[in-house]
Amino acid sequence: MATHTGAAPSRGRRFVSQLRRLYAVPTAAFGTTVFVLFLALALLGPWIAPYGANQQDYQGARMAPSSLHWFGTDHLGRDVFSRVLLGAGEILWLSGGGTLLAVLCGTAIGLLSGYLGGWLDELIMRLFDSLLALPALLLALLMLGILGASAWSVLIVMVVVYTPIVARVVRSVVLSVKTRGFVEAARLQGESLGWILFREILPSVLPTLAVETAVRFSYGIFLVASLGFLGVGVQPPSPNWGLMVKEARQTISQTPWALYYPAGAISILVIGVNLMADGLKRIFQTRHD
Amino acid sequence: MKVNLHIIGRNKIALVIMLVLVFVSACGRVGATQPAPAAPTQGQSVSAEPRSERNGILRVAMQPIVQADPAFISSDSEVLVANHVYDYLVDIDPASKVIPRLAVDWQIENDGLTYVFTLAEGVQFHDGSPLTAQDVVWTFNRLRDPELELPTADLYSNIADIQATGELEVTFILNQPNPFFLYDLSDNHALVLKANTQDAATKFNGTGPFKVTSYSPEDRIILEANKDYYIQDLPKLEGVEILFFNDENAAVDALRSGQVDLVMRMSTALFTSLQDEPGIYTLDIPTNGFDLVRLRSDREPGDDPRVIQAFKLATDREAILQLVQQGYGAVGRDSPIGPMYTQYYSEETPIPERDVQAARQLLSEAGYPQGLDIVLHTPDTGGRPDLAVVLKEQWAEAGINVEVSVEPESVYYGEERWLEVDLGITGWGSRPYPQFYLDVMLKCEAVWNESHFCDPEFDELTTTAGTSLDEAQQAEAYQKIQQILIERGPVIIPYFFAQFAAISDKFQGFELKPFAGRTDFRLVNLQE
Repeated sequence: MATHTGAAPSRGRRFVSQLRRLYAVPTAAFGTTVFVLFLALALLGPWIAPYGANQQDYQGARMAPSSLHWFGTDHLGRDVFSRVLLGAGEILWLSGGGTLLAVLCGTAIGLLSGYLGGWLDELIMRLFDSLLALPALLLALLMLGILGASAWSVLIVMVVVYTPIVARVVRSVVLSVKTRGFVEAARLQGESLGWILFREILPSVLPTLAVETAVRFSYGIFLVASLGFLGVGVQPPSPNWGLMVKEARQTISQTPWALYYPAGAISILVIGVNLMADGLKRIFQTRHD
Repeated sequence: MKVNLHIIGRNKIALVIMLVLVFVSACGRVGATQPAPAAPTQGQSVSAEPRSERNGILRVAMQPIVQADPAFISSDSEVLVANHVYDYLVDIDPASKVIPRLAVDWQIENDGLTYVFTLAEGVQFHDGSPLTAQDVVWTFNRLRDPELELPTADLYSNIADIQATGELEVTFILNQPNPFFLYDLSDNHALVLKANTQDAATKFNGTGPFKVTSYSPEDRIILEANKDYYIQDLPKLEGVEILFFNDENAAVDALRSGQVDLVMRMSTALFTSLQDEPGIYTLDIPTNGFDLVRLRSDREPGDDPRVIQAFKLATDREAILQLVQQGYGAVGRDSPIGPMYTQYYSEETPIPERDVQAARQLLSEAGYPQGLDIVLHTPDTGGRPDLAVVLKEQWAEAGINVEVSVEPESVYYGEERWLEVDLGITGWGSRPYPQFYLDVMLKCEAVWNESHFCDPEFDELTTTAGTSLDEAQQAEAYQKIQQILIERGPVIIPYFFAQFAAISDKFQGFELKPFAGRTDFRLVNLQE
């Protein structure tokens, strides 16, 4: 079982040791490398992209990949390499931001609901059950229809779609932890609710939460890309990978590269993040056992 | 007017617009035609050949038909079927002139209020009964009957009476002179049915060049040549099979593999991919259909003429044609009177060169020194989202910062939203004559005046053009209208669409028309 954090070594050293363990699993090492690479590209994108994301050249439209345009140009004469590069930042920001917000909300709600129990727990969980009964994409489409399509709407959708899932996972851990001795002890000592939730219970939830975050993140990337592809998420001319696939689909016979590269980027990133999540799960499970 | 707003419910307007404006043109006007490259034009040599030399079955890929009753047809495939099973009273030729079909001759009398048509002799319906003047009277009375709520009721509301003035003579009497009446008689729906036909949706009893031998909904419709057709030697084909495809990719694949011989509806990209395909001819012609970029001119910011000019000056129409339509079609000049209306189109007023600095300056003078922020609404169909993205980039250079909003057509046209928004892109289908656009889109009181344009001089000229029987006066009015729209119209028409076709090189005599539904297969036959 997770140890009490009081005696733990410094956080930095612990992070490094966990990273080392992550790299001991080959698939997780691969996944993490991919993720870190995409993150670096996303951060450096604006400086290293050879062209603007929406810079059009009507004489240079529909050009096959060459030394001038590594990934070719699309039907509107935009450089596909620059768009994929600049799209990385957008998709990581949206799916990462949405995931983090959902994890924050979900954790807070899960902790409270699980620890307090009673009618509040019942109410929240039934509400979340009804939300979870709807497929994520359907719920997202429904909400975007009401909110209108924009990057902020996509962020809100992600929070609404993923908060219930995170909250349920957190709550299940809380339920198993809250009857344990150290929680009882803290309660008897008269510690405040905040202390008990965040100092006593939260550390036990963290390993599960880390895995859950990584899994949600990979689904989040997929959701953002799917919504872009369906044309209800981020609006053109944004270099959203899903949107790029949608646009290139019309001209696949002429500019297949404009479809393959963003589609490939989505797949590689999603696989990478999934493998990373897998690795995290393995590490924490071994420690758990 | 030519639209039937008071008949259909307001909430159905969006649907009608989608059907009428975007996919369909009410009368496929015949524009410039282009025979297949290796196909010699059907000349006199044909008559030298012995009779009944019909050969070949043309297999055509089209969208499935839903309506078979000519009064209700709307899509190009529905019109295509009806156009070959039935005949029009008058037809329209490649030079957009009205030509005889069932009516071999006509006289216009009484200052344009009376039209007397003489019908062809020896015309038979597929059931063997002869065509009489009564059939024509019954057909047009049905189309204009307000009780039946047909889409054509408004179009023919100007008809006072229709009489059979002889066994083969029909007389139409109008309330007001209408210079375009003959075009209206060739409306897509105006196919002559047998009098008192009760089941036009299932019976297919026409006088046309082909008879229906079998129809399997959502699969195919098989037509065979009408051997008793009233024009000798026609049709030249043994038959036509129209195979239904929902997906244009599948249709083009079927053409490539030889399962069909002709495809007329495909994206620009698919059409381009067929260019080097052996055994396939590709044809394209510009139509009168266009995408309209319009700014509301009755409130800020479009109520300032300088803003309208800034938008126009910031637009590069040639680049748009190249990017959005890949160069197919024709460049627009901000007026719906396109180059295919050869008798009215004028290039007398030059379109100002693109000048980003001048546009910036005008915006600054109009009170937008920091630039202008505006949302550009566009339906998610056709090249319109691409057009929006290209405009965004072009206008950004002039300080017009556009936020693109791509919407499903049900949203864009729903609840009259498209008439409400400041900046939008609307697709307009090809029409046989330009008056329609001016009457329903640009006149002050027009039902679909989406730009809220209100210009007394323009209205007066439009009225003149729409009622004058003097062709010179009409042409002059249209020329001035084009000048006004270039100088102060709150509209940009960057391009006119192209109509595509790809046909197996085994056939000859195929002519492409701006509206695929009005394609004429009578002259098509298998190459020897």
